[in-house]
Amino acid sequence: MSPQVIVDGLVAGAMIGLGATGVTLTYSILRFANFAHGEFIAWGAYFALAVSGFLGALAPALTAPIGPFSFGWSLPIAALAAIALTAALALLVDALLFGSLRAKNSAIIIMVMASFGAALTLRNLLEFIFTSSPAYYAEGLQMALRFAGVRATPDALLCLVIAAIIVIALHAVIAHTAIGRAMRAVSENPQLAAIVGIDSRKIVRLVWILGAGLACLAGVMAGLIVQIRPTMGLDLLLPLFAAAILGGIGSAMGAMLGGLIIGLAESLTVALAGGEWRAAVAFVILVAILLLRPHGLFGRS
Amino acid sequence: MIAQSLPPLALEARGLIAGYERDLPIVRGVNLSVRVGEFIVLLGPNGAGKSTLVKAIVGLVPIHEGAVLLNGDDITVAPPHQKIGRGLAFVPQTENIFTTLTIEDNLLLAADVIPKPVRARRIAELYAMFPDLAAQPSRPAKLLSGGQRQMLAVARALVVQPSLLILDEPSAGLSPKIVAEVFGRLKAINATGVTIVLVEQNVKAALAVAGRAIILVEGEARHEASALELADDPIIAELYLGAARARS
Amino acid sequence: MILDLIGYAAFFLTIALTYAIICLGLNVQWGQTGLFNVGVAAFVAIGAYVSALMTTPEAAGRFGGLGQPIAIGWIGGAVTAGLSSLLVGALTIKLRADYLAIATFGVAVVIHLCALNLEWLTGGPFGISFIPRPFASYAGEPLLFGLSNLALLSLVVLVLYLGLEQLLRSPWGRVLRAIREDEAAALALGKSSVRFRLQAFAIGGAIMGLAGAAQAHFIGFIAPDNYQPTLTFQVWAMLIVGGSGNNRGAILGAILVWGVWAISAGAIAAIFPPGEQASAASLQIVLIGLALCAILLWRPRGLLGEVKTVSRHLAELSPEGGRDHP
Repeated sequence: MSPQVIVDGLVAGAMIGLGATGVTLTYSILRFANFAHGEFIAWGAYFALAVSGFLGALAPALTAPIGPFSFGWSLPIAALAAIALTAALALLVDALLFGSLRAKNSAIIIMVMASFGAALTLRNLLEFIFTSSPAYYAEGLQMALRFAGVRATPDALLCLVIAAIIVIALHAVIAHTAIGRAMRAVSENPQLAAIVGIDSRKIVRLVWILGAGLACLAGVMAGLIVQIRPTMGLDLLLPLFAAAILGGIGSAMGAMLGGLIIGLAESLTVALAGGEWRAAVAFVILVAILLLRPHGLFGRS
Repeated sequence: MIAQSLPPLALEARGLIAGYERDLPIVRGVNLSVRVGEFIVLLGPNGAGKSTLVKAIVGLVPIHEGAVLLNGDDITVAPPHQKIGRGLAFVPQTENIFTTLTIEDNLLLAADVIPKPVRARRIAELYAMFPDLAAQPSRPAKLLSGGQRQMLAVARALVVQPSLLILDEPSAGLSPKIVAEVFGRLKAINATGVTIVLVEQNVKAALAVAGRAIILVEGEARHEASALELADDPIIAELYLGAARARS
Repeated sequence: MILDLIGYAAFFLTIALTYAIICLGLNVQWGQTGLFNVGVAAFVAIGAYVSALMTTPEAAGRFGGLGQPIAIGWIGGAVTAGLSSLLVGALTIKLRADYLAIATFGVAVVIHLCALNLEWLTGGPFGISFIPRPFASYAGEPLLFGLSNLALLSLVVLVLYLGLEQLLRSPWGRVLRAIREDEAAALALGKSSVRFRLQAFAIGGAIMGLAGAAQAHFIGFIAPDNYQPTLTFQVWAMLIVGGSGNNRGAILGAILVWGVWAISAGAIAAIFPPGEQASAASLQIVLIGLALCAILLWRPRGLLGEVKTVSRHLAELSPEGGRDHP
């Protein structure tokens, strides 16, 4: 395994992992597989695209690349706005769809089926608005850095670092703060949490915001490093679920670790067998985990 | 009759009809009055609805008709977490601690709803009350024995300094020695002024500590008496075994 | 003019009936076993490709040239899809409902990938063409051709419907119902629930494969893009709209939803200028997606009725024992 394969795998894995932390949190508290999570990733990327494009038109100076990176200040600012917008979108979808189904005590499969429908709607709405052509945050190619025999763009390294920081911060919040305790409690037993004084609905809203925010960031990163397409969320869905389940539902560190593992496995597969089979890797890992250790690496057994 | 100044009502249920399904009420019109400082035990045969009654009071089971008042305030429609905020604490029979959290986290979690300045002090007070828990606060709760779990559950409930503490069969699955210990604790807690409502199958142990007993049969409060009177009363056996006979 | 309309109606109904067959298959899987298969498209694809490969003439760079009759192709497609279902079922049957959904979704992704990449077998992105069509000799007379195929599919659906109804009332069907309604009791009677549910899953898959084969031969060509998640979604929508649980609902739902799909496609295509047809297609799916969400919110009755019986089953599969939502 050449170092380049490892670096490529880590970069891809970091994005999968970041997306997977959002999945693992929402999955553990909402208790169903949300097939629409991928669409929050895509919408996040497109929100950032729209806002940064708008900012760039308003003040062209904002598009001037910062240092070695390919993007100007318009992108980080747009990313923050996009997080808010994606969170609002998630809360809207919950208010209109999932929340209503929850209130009726709907079975898991109805929730999953509804998420499937929401995903299709959101994805095709993106395609309708933006067409299916790929889009990019910045024009022009970026020079890759060379070190220790590997090549990596500054953008990719930045994303890697940011993803690591976010996940570590998230883990600290979950493990050591009051709100993190409340989330873990609701995740284990929502009824008991209510008896202890926790307002579950508030936690649910928070988790949607958090999950959407993480998805948005993953989308912006994926859009930055690869490209922006309406199907980018759908393409990531299987790796996301696989990473979250591999890491153990409810564990943020587990999700990131799962993401890195899948990223590395995909990178290795592409190196050995070509890029067409990349999507199958996540599936193979998923089936293996489900058969051997369904609660994942750090999940509750 | 000389007017006596009775303590105010801590808990009141008026004509309570409750159950998981609308067309199948398990609690069928219960009237209940508990005064501040009392130690009440709810007795009755299996399926009488004791558990469902307290769960309805706490808000875990839907109330179809009637009202629940806590210290005079109507809390019938309030969600569970709001009732906790008003001085009510509940220890369920099963799954009453968070096994994926440590002992400390279980207590901190409960403390998150009381004002910040008092939190640390309150937790320290509880550790003093329950030295077993203080010994290893970072122990994952899932590693605790049955008796220790019960202690943690009670400690957790006491964090918010409730005015009313409701427990659902705390003796279930515990050895007689531990049961005596738990009940002794409850009596001590009651002595500090906390009103206690206890649901129990272990009649003997419960009547030894309770002040008054209410007997539920088939969703209705059929009989009420002081614990002392009931301890030797054959009606207890009659009601447990004879509920079937009473029906026919 | 009238003849054109009849011709178009025949075409539309024939396609709708192939969907009805998929729905009947899904109903066996979902209604009888409670297994939530989100990879329907995979088994349809398997049936289509196997049948196509068995019946098409030689083609450069691709496996083929078996030149079998259409009926053999259909049977081959159904059997292969059935065996694939058995395999998938064996791997996933013990999983909880949503893990099963993810796993079957993954199966569909992999099958799509295989269809796309195994060019020596499947013809790659361009798919397989010149698949022999039933009543090909009537190709010169569109009306006769259309009506004959319609008659053939109607017969197939009828036979399937009667066969499945019979199966439900048979001892085998009764065991399945018992397992669905009270697994513990059925187990006490010595029936292995896994074996029966796997059999049902395989039968459902085989029926889906048959539908795939029928579609392939009626249209005459197939490509990997025919078998995307959209197909799975369409079929589930049909089952839900039809009020799943019974086979009549499956057939009616298929015809109804296909009708709405075709009409909305036509309407949107008419409204949008030619250059924007891709956008039109996206908008159509948006509207259908919204419609399905609306149905799930306000009238999932058919599905819900079955869910009450099956959800207990599902609850047992879930590690937490089906705890409440917050």
